[in-house]
Amino acid sequence: MLQQDFVPVAINQAFQRRQQDGEGAFYRRIASQGPRGGGDWSQTTQGFYIATPDGELLLYNNNRNPERLRRLMREALEAFAQREPVEADPAEMGERDQRFHPEPPEGGLIVRVHAKVLGGYKPTEDPVRQMFQEALSRDNLWVTAEEQDVLTRDELPETLARRIALYHLIDNTRGEPTMWRPHHIRKLEMTLVGGVLRGSVHLESEGGDTGYEAELFGRVSVEDGRVAGFELAAEGDYWGHTRYTPGCPEGRFPLAVVFRLADGEDAADTIPPQAHGWWGSDYLPR
Amino acid sequence: MGSGRRIERWCFWVVVWAVLAGLVMPAAQASASLNGLTEARAGELHELLTPDPEAVWRTIPWMTSVLEAQREALEKGRPIFIWAMDGHPLGCV
Repeated sequence: MLQQDFVPVAINQAFQRRQQDGEGAFYRRIASQGPRGGGDWSQTTQGFYIATPDGELLLYNNNRNPERLRRLMREALEAFAQREPVEADPAEMGERDQRFHPEPPEGGLIVRVHAKVLGGYKPTEDPVRQMFQEALSRDNLWVTAEEQDVLTRDELPETLARRIALYHLIDNTRGEPTMWRPHHIRKLEMTLVGGVLRGSVHLESEGGDTGYEAELFGRVSVEDGRVAGFELAAEGDYWGHTRYTPGCPEGRFPLAVVFRLADGEDAADTIPPQAHGWWGSDYLPR
Repeated sequence: MGSGRRIERWCFWVVVWAVLAGLVMPAAQASASLNGLTEARAGELHELLTPDPEAVWRTIPWMTSVLEAQREALEKGRPIFIWAMDGHPLGCV
Protein backbone atom coordinates (compact mmCIF):
# COMPACT_ATOMS: atom_id res chain seq x y z
CA MET A 1 0.00 0.00 0.00
CA LEU A 2 2.80 2.44 0.92
CA GLN A 3 4.69 1.56 -2.26
CA GLN A 4 1.79 1.94 -4.66
CA ASP A 5 -0.84 4.21 -3.18
CA PHE A 6 1.12 6.81 -1.20
CA VAL A 7 4.26 8.90 -1.43
CA PRO A 8 6.06 7.84 1.76
CA VAL A 9 8.39 10.23 3.56
CA ALA A 10 10.25 9.69 6.85
CA ILE A 11 11.43 12.67 8.88
CA ASN A 12 12.85 13.69 12.22
CA GLN A 13 10.07 16.17 13.00
CA ALA A 14 12.27 17.83 15.65
CA PHE A 15 13.83 19.51 12.61
CA GLN A 16 10.79 20.30 10.44
CA ARG A 17 8.64 21.72 13.22
CA ARG A 18 11.36 24.29 13.95
CA GLN A 19 12.97 25.05 10.63
CA GLN A 20 12.20 28.42 9.08
CA ASP A 21 12.01 27.57 5.38
CA GLY A 22 9.59 26.08 2.90
CA GLU A 23 10.15 22.53 4.13
CA GLY A 24 9.33 23.49 7.71
CA ALA A 25 6.37 25.66 6.71
CA PHE A 26 4.75 22.89 4.65
CA TYR A 27 5.20 20.36 7.46
CA ARG A 28 3.77 22.73 10.08
CA ARG A 29 0.82 23.46 7.78
CA ILE A 30 -0.04 19.76 7.85
CA ALA A 31 0.83 19.17 11.52
CA SER A 32 -1.15 22.22 12.67
CA GLN A 33 -4.35 20.44 11.58
CA GLY A 34 -3.59 17.50 13.91
CA PRO A 35 -3.97 17.12 17.67
CA ARG A 36 -0.33 18.08 18.28
CA GLY A 37 -0.42 21.21 16.17
CA GLY A 38 -1.51 23.71 18.78
CA GLY A 39 1.17 26.16 17.75
CA ASP A 40 3.79 25.33 20.37
CA TRP A 41 6.44 23.99 18.03
CA SER A 42 8.82 23.33 20.90
CA GLN A 43 6.71 20.26 21.65
CA THR A 44 6.81 17.00 19.74
CA THR A 45 4.45 16.45 16.83
CA GLN A 46 5.50 12.86 16.20
CA GLY A 47 3.12 10.40 14.62
CA PHE A 48 1.82 9.27 11.24
CA TYR A 49 0.22 11.87 8.97
CA ILE A 50 -1.62 11.37 5.70
CA ALA A 51 -2.18 14.56 3.71
CA THR A 52 -3.30 15.63 0.28
CA PRO A 53 -0.56 17.01 -1.99
CA ASP A 54 -1.72 20.57 -1.24
CA GLY A 55 -1.38 19.99 2.50
CA GLU A 56 -4.82 19.11 3.82
CA LEU A 57 -4.63 16.59 6.64
CA LEU A 58 -6.63 13.40 6.07
CA LEU A 59 -5.34 11.38 9.02
CA TYR A 60 -3.21 11.66 12.12
CA ASN A 61 -2.34 8.59 14.16
CA ASN A 62 0.32 7.76 16.70
CA ASN A 63 -0.52 4.13 17.33
CA ARG A 64 1.92 1.27 16.83
CA ASN A 65 -0.79 -1.30 16.14
CA PRO A 66 -0.17 -2.28 12.49
CA GLU A 67 -3.70 -3.59 11.92
CA ARG A 68 -5.27 -0.38 13.16
CA LEU A 69 -2.92 1.75 11.09
CA ARG A 70 -3.59 -0.32 7.98
CA ARG A 71 -7.36 0.15 8.44
CA LEU A 72 -6.96 3.91 8.94
CA MET A 73 -4.75 4.13 5.86
CA ARG A 74 -7.40 2.37 3.75
CA GLU A 75 -10.04 4.80 5.04
CA ALA A 76 -7.82 7.77 4.22
CA LEU A 77 -7.23 6.40 0.72
CA GLU A 78 -10.98 6.06 0.16
CA ALA A 79 -11.54 9.63 1.34
CA PHE A 80 -8.77 10.83 -0.98
CA ALA A 81 -10.20 8.93 -3.96
CA GLN A 82 -13.57 10.71 -3.54
CA ARG A 83 -11.98 14.16 -3.89
CA GLU A 84 -11.40 16.18 -6.99
CA PRO A 85 -7.84 15.80 -8.30
CA VAL A 86 -5.52 18.27 -6.60
CA GLU A 87 -4.06 21.01 -8.75
CA ALA A 88 -1.55 23.13 -6.92
CA ASP A 89 1.92 24.51 -7.33
CA PRO A 90 4.57 22.78 -5.27
CA ALA A 91 5.67 24.73 -2.22
CA GLU A 92 9.02 26.46 -2.55
CA MET A 93 11.93 25.91 -0.22
CA GLY A 94 12.94 29.57 -0.26
CA GLU A 95 16.09 30.32 1.70
CA ARG A 96 17.15 27.13 3.39
CA ASP A 97 17.36 27.22 7.17
CA GLN A 98 20.92 25.91 7.33
CA ARG A 99 20.61 24.88 10.97
CA PHE A 100 18.45 22.00 9.83
CA HIS A 101 20.27 20.88 6.71
CA PRO A 102 23.54 19.48 8.04
CA GLU A 103 25.73 18.13 5.25
CA PRO A 104 28.35 15.39 5.60
CA PRO A 105 31.92 16.72 5.68
CA GLU A 106 33.17 17.43 2.16
CA GLY A 107 35.75 14.83 1.14
CA GLY A 108 34.99 12.79 4.26
CA LEU A 109 33.36 9.44 4.89
CA ILE A 110 29.97 8.15 5.98
CA VAL A 111 30.07 5.00 8.08
CA ARG A 112 26.95 3.00 8.96
CA VAL A 113 26.59 2.16 12.65
CA HIS A 114 24.34 -0.56 14.08
CA ALA A 115 23.88 -1.53 17.73
CA LYS A 116 22.09 -4.48 19.29
CA VAL A 117 21.46 -5.79 22.79
CA LEU A 118 22.60 -9.41 22.63
CA GLY A 119 20.82 -10.72 25.73
CA GLY A 120 19.56 -10.11 29.23
CA TYR A 121 15.93 -9.20 28.58
CA LYS A 122 13.16 -10.91 30.48
CA PRO A 123 10.87 -12.82 28.07
CA THR A 124 7.69 -10.95 27.18
CA GLU A 125 4.53 -11.52 25.19
CA ASP A 126 4.09 -7.79 24.58
CA PRO A 127 4.76 -7.27 20.85
CA VAL A 128 5.97 -3.69 21.32
CA ARG A 129 8.44 -4.77 24.02
CA GLN A 130 9.55 -7.65 21.80
CA MET A 131 10.15 -5.20 18.98
CA PHE A 132 12.42 -3.08 21.18
CA GLN A 133 14.19 -6.13 22.61
CA GLU A 134 15.06 -7.41 19.14
CA ALA A 135 15.80 -3.98 17.67
CA LEU A 136 18.85 -3.28 15.53
CA SER A 137 19.58 0.44 15.67
CA ARG A 138 20.95 2.56 12.83
CA ASP A 139 23.04 5.71 12.92
CA ASN A 140 25.79 7.22 10.77
CA LEU A 141 29.33 8.15 11.76
CA TRP A 142 30.76 11.12 9.88
CA VAL A 143 34.52 11.24 9.28
CA THR A 144 36.15 14.48 8.12
CA ALA A 145 38.50 14.73 5.11
CA GLU A 146 41.39 15.53 7.45
CA GLU A 147 40.66 12.45 9.52
CA GLN A 148 40.49 10.33 6.38
CA ASP A 149 43.94 11.61 5.42
CA VAL A 150 45.31 10.56 8.78
CA LEU A 151 43.72 7.11 8.43
CA THR A 152 45.43 6.60 5.07
CA ARG A 153 48.76 7.06 6.90
CA ASP A 154 47.86 4.11 9.15
CA GLU A 155 47.18 6.38 12.12
CA LEU A 156 44.00 6.84 14.12
CA PRO A 157 42.99 10.48 14.68
CA GLU A 158 42.20 11.16 18.32
CA THR A 159 39.18 13.23 17.30
CA LEU A 160 37.74 10.21 15.50
CA ALA A 161 38.39 7.84 18.40
CA ARG A 162 36.64 10.26 20.77
CA ARG A 163 33.70 10.74 18.37
CA ILE A 164 33.24 6.98 18.13
CA ALA A 165 33.33 6.64 21.91
CA LEU A 166 31.17 9.64 22.82
CA TYR A 167 28.45 9.37 20.18
CA HIS A 168 28.40 5.83 18.81
CA LEU A 169 29.30 3.37 21.58
CA ILE A 170 25.85 3.78 23.05
CA ASP A 171 22.64 1.79 23.50
CA ASN A 172 20.26 3.48 21.05
CA THR A 173 18.11 0.40 20.44
CA ARG A 174 15.01 1.59 22.36
CA GLY A 175 14.96 5.28 21.53
CA GLU A 176 17.03 8.43 21.54
CA PRO A 177 19.83 8.11 24.10
CA THR A 178 21.44 10.90 26.05
CA MET A 179 24.96 11.01 24.65
CA TRP A 180 28.09 10.49 26.72
CA ARG A 181 29.94 13.61 27.85
CA PRO A 182 33.74 13.93 27.65
CA HIS A 183 34.16 13.39 31.39
CA HIS A 184 32.34 10.05 31.06
CA ILE A 185 35.36 8.59 29.26
CA ARG A 186 37.14 6.60 31.96
CA LYS A 187 39.35 4.75 29.48
CA LEU A 188 39.79 5.05 25.73
CA GLU A 189 42.56 3.04 24.10
CA MET A 190 42.41 2.69 20.34
CA THR A 191 45.25 1.92 17.98
CA LEU A 192 45.59 1.49 14.23
CA VAL A 193 48.63 -0.55 13.24
CA GLY A 194 49.04 -2.23 9.88
CA GLY A 195 45.42 -1.55 9.02
CA VAL A 196 44.19 -3.29 12.19
CA LEU A 197 42.13 -1.34 14.70
CA ARG A 198 42.15 -2.53 18.28
CA GLY A 199 40.67 -0.87 21.26
CA SER A 200 39.29 -0.94 24.73
CA VAL A 201 36.87 1.53 26.24
CA HIS A 202 35.22 2.28 29.56
CA LEU A 203 32.47 4.88 29.57
CA GLU A 204 30.51 5.67 32.71
CA SER A 205 28.19 8.43 33.83
CA GLU A 206 28.92 10.50 36.95
CA GLY A 207 26.77 8.46 39.28
CA GLY A 208 27.68 5.16 37.64
CA ASP A 209 24.05 4.55 36.64
CA THR A 210 24.98 4.04 32.97
CA GLY A 211 28.13 2.62 31.49
CA TYR A 212 29.78 0.55 28.79
CA GLU A 213 32.97 -1.48 29.02
CA ALA A 214 33.89 -2.91 25.65
CA GLU A 215 36.65 -4.26 23.46
CA LEU A 216 37.00 -3.29 19.81
CA PHE A 217 38.45 -4.89 16.70
CA GLY A 218 38.42 -3.60 13.14
CA ARG A 219 40.21 -3.10 9.87
CA VAL A 220 40.90 -0.07 7.68
CA SER A 221 41.93 -0.53 4.06
CA VAL A 222 43.29 2.15 1.75
CA GLU A 223 43.24 2.35 -2.04
CA ASP A 224 44.51 5.20 -4.17
CA GLY A 225 45.03 7.40 -1.18
CA ARG A 226 41.48 7.03 0.09
CA VAL A 227 39.89 4.85 2.72
CA ALA A 228 38.26 2.00 0.79
CA GLY A 229 37.15 -0.05 3.76
CA PHE A 230 36.35 0.76 7.39
CA GLU A 231 35.02 -2.02 9.59
CA LEU A 232 34.92 -1.96 13.35
CA ALA A 233 33.10 -4.03 15.96
CA ALA A 234 32.67 -3.41 19.67
CA GLU A 235 31.35 -5.84 22.24
CA GLY A 236 31.07 -5.57 25.98
CA ASP A 237 28.95 -5.02 29.07
CA TYR A 238 26.46 -2.16 29.11
CA TRP A 239 24.34 -1.07 32.04
CA GLY A 240 21.58 1.43 32.62
CA HIS A 241 19.43 3.62 30.39
CA THR A 242 18.72 7.29 29.81
CA ARG A 243 15.49 9.31 29.77
CA TYR A 244 14.17 8.15 26.42
CA THR A 245 15.60 4.61 26.40
CA PRO A 246 13.78 2.91 29.27
CA GLY A 247 13.15 -0.81 29.45
CA CYS A 248 16.74 -2.07 29.34
CA PRO A 249 17.69 -5.42 30.91
CA GLU A 250 18.53 -5.37 34.61
CA GLY A 251 22.17 -5.10 35.64
CA ARG A 252 24.90 -5.59 33.08
CA PHE A 253 23.92 -6.82 29.65
CA PRO A 254 25.84 -7.53 26.44
CA LEU A 255 25.77 -4.81 23.77
CA ALA A 256 27.48 -4.96 20.38
CA VAL A 257 28.07 -2.06 17.97
CA VAL A 258 29.36 -2.47 14.42
CA PHE A 259 30.63 0.10 11.92
CA ARG A 260 30.90 -0.35 8.16
CA LEU A 261 31.69 2.15 5.40
CA ALA A 262 28.46 3.24 3.65
CA ASP A 263 28.07 2.74 -0.09
CA GLY A 264 25.36 5.39 -0.53
CA GLU A 265 22.82 2.83 -1.70
CA ASP A 266 20.65 3.14 1.40
CA ALA A 267 18.36 6.17 1.89
CA ALA A 268 19.47 6.18 5.53
CA ASP A 269 23.06 6.93 4.44
CA THR A 270 21.91 10.53 3.96
CA ILE A 271 20.66 10.96 7.53
CA PRO A 272 22.85 13.12 9.80
CA PRO A 273 24.28 11.44 12.88
CA GLN A 274 21.87 11.50 15.81
CA ALA A 275 24.40 13.48 17.87
CA HIS A 276 24.76 16.12 15.15
CA GLY A 277 21.72 17.93 16.38
CA TRP A 278 20.08 21.17 15.34
CA TRP A 279 21.35 22.75 18.55
CA GLY A 280 24.89 22.87 17.12
CA SER A 281 26.61 20.13 19.01
CA ASP A 282 30.37 19.62 18.96
CA TYR A 283 29.98 16.41 16.97
CA LEU A 284 32.55 17.54 14.39
CA PRO A 285 35.71 19.53 15.16
CA ARG A 286 35.03 23.25 14.71
CA MET B 1 85.17 -11.15 49.64
CA GLY B 2 83.96 -13.72 47.05
CA SER B 3 80.65 -13.95 48.87
CA GLY B 4 80.30 -10.16 48.88
CA ARG B 5 80.90 -10.09 45.12
CA ARG B 6 78.23 -12.74 44.59
CA ILE B 7 75.70 -10.75 46.60
CA GLU B 8 76.63 -7.60 44.73
CA ARG B 9 76.20 -9.38 41.38
CA TRP B 10 72.90 -10.88 42.53
CA CYS B 11 71.64 -7.45 43.59
CA PHE B 12 72.74 -6.04 40.22
CA TRP B 13 70.72 -8.64 38.29
CA VAL B 14 67.70 -8.19 40.57
CA VAL B 15 67.76 -4.48 39.80
CA VAL B 16 68.19 -5.14 36.06
CA TRP B 17 65.31 -7.62 36.13
CA ALA B 18 63.10 -5.20 38.04
CA VAL B 19 63.84 -2.36 35.63
CA LEU B 20 63.17 -4.54 32.59
CA ALA B 21 60.00 -5.91 34.15
CA GLY B 22 58.88 -2.38 34.86
CA LEU B 23 59.39 -1.48 31.23
CA VAL B 24 57.83 -4.59 29.77
CA MET B 25 54.87 -5.27 32.07
CA PRO B 26 52.81 -2.13 31.37
CA ALA B 27 53.18 -2.75 27.64
CA ALA B 28 52.14 -6.37 28.07
CA GLN B 29 49.13 -5.36 30.17
CA ALA B 30 48.11 -2.70 27.67
CA SER B 31 48.38 -5.13 24.80
CA ALA B 32 46.37 -7.74 26.72
CA SER B 33 43.61 -5.19 27.31
CA LEU B 34 43.43 -4.49 23.58
CA ASN B 35 43.16 -8.12 22.57
CA GLY B 36 39.80 -8.96 24.09
CA LEU B 37 37.82 -9.07 20.84
CA THR B 38 39.11 -11.44 18.18
CA GLU B 39 38.81 -10.91 14.45
CA ALA B 40 36.64 -14.03 14.23
CA ARG B 41 34.21 -12.70 16.85
CA ALA B 42 34.18 -9.28 15.17
CA GLY B 43 33.19 -11.04 11.94
CA GLU B 44 30.35 -12.83 13.72
CA LEU B 45 29.10 -9.53 15.13
CA HIS B 46 29.11 -7.91 11.68
CA GLU B 47 27.02 -10.80 10.38
CA LEU B 48 24.66 -10.70 13.36
CA LEU B 49 24.16 -6.94 13.14
CA THR B 50 23.54 -6.72 9.39
CA PRO B 51 19.98 -5.56 8.61
CA ASP B 52 17.81 -8.02 6.76
CA PRO B 53 17.71 -6.76 3.16
CA GLU B 54 14.39 -8.61 2.72
CA ALA B 55 12.70 -6.75 5.58
CA VAL B 56 9.48 -5.31 4.17
CA TRP B 57 9.98 -1.78 5.52
CA ARG B 58 13.29 -1.59 3.66
CA THR B 59 11.50 -2.16 0.34
CA ILE B 60 9.50 1.06 0.81
CA PRO B 61 10.95 3.96 -1.20
CA TRP B 62 11.13 6.38 1.72
CA MET B 63 11.86 9.97 0.85
CA THR B 64 13.45 12.28 3.42
CA SER B 65 12.08 15.68 2.34
CA VAL B 66 8.47 16.73 2.75
CA LEU B 67 8.75 19.16 -0.16
CA GLU B 68 10.14 16.51 -2.51
CA ALA B 69 7.35 14.20 -1.39
CA GLN B 70 4.83 16.95 -2.18
CA ARG B 71 6.20 17.33 -5.71
CA GLU B 72 5.98 13.60 -6.32
CA ALA B 73 2.49 13.45 -4.80
CA LEU B 74 1.30 16.21 -7.18
CA GLU B 75 2.80 14.39 -10.16
CA LYS B 76 1.37 11.00 -9.26
CA GLY B 77 -1.92 12.17 -7.78
CA ARG B 78 -1.30 10.33 -4.52
CA PRO B 79 -1.58 11.36 -0.87
CA ILE B 80 1.55 11.91 1.20
CA PHE B 81 2.28 9.51 4.05
CA ILE B 82 4.54 11.18 6.65
CA TRP B 83 6.29 9.09 9.29
CA ALA B 84 7.36 11.82 11.72
CA MET B 85 9.33 10.88 14.79
CA ASP B 86 11.62 12.29 17.47
CA GLY B 87 14.89 11.06 16.01
CA HIS B 88 14.96 9.99 12.39
CA PRO B 89 12.79 6.92 11.62
CA LEU B 90 15.42 5.68 9.16
CA GLY B 91 18.09 6.15 11.77
CA CYS B 92 18.17 6.29 15.51
CA VAL B 93 14.78 5.73 17.17
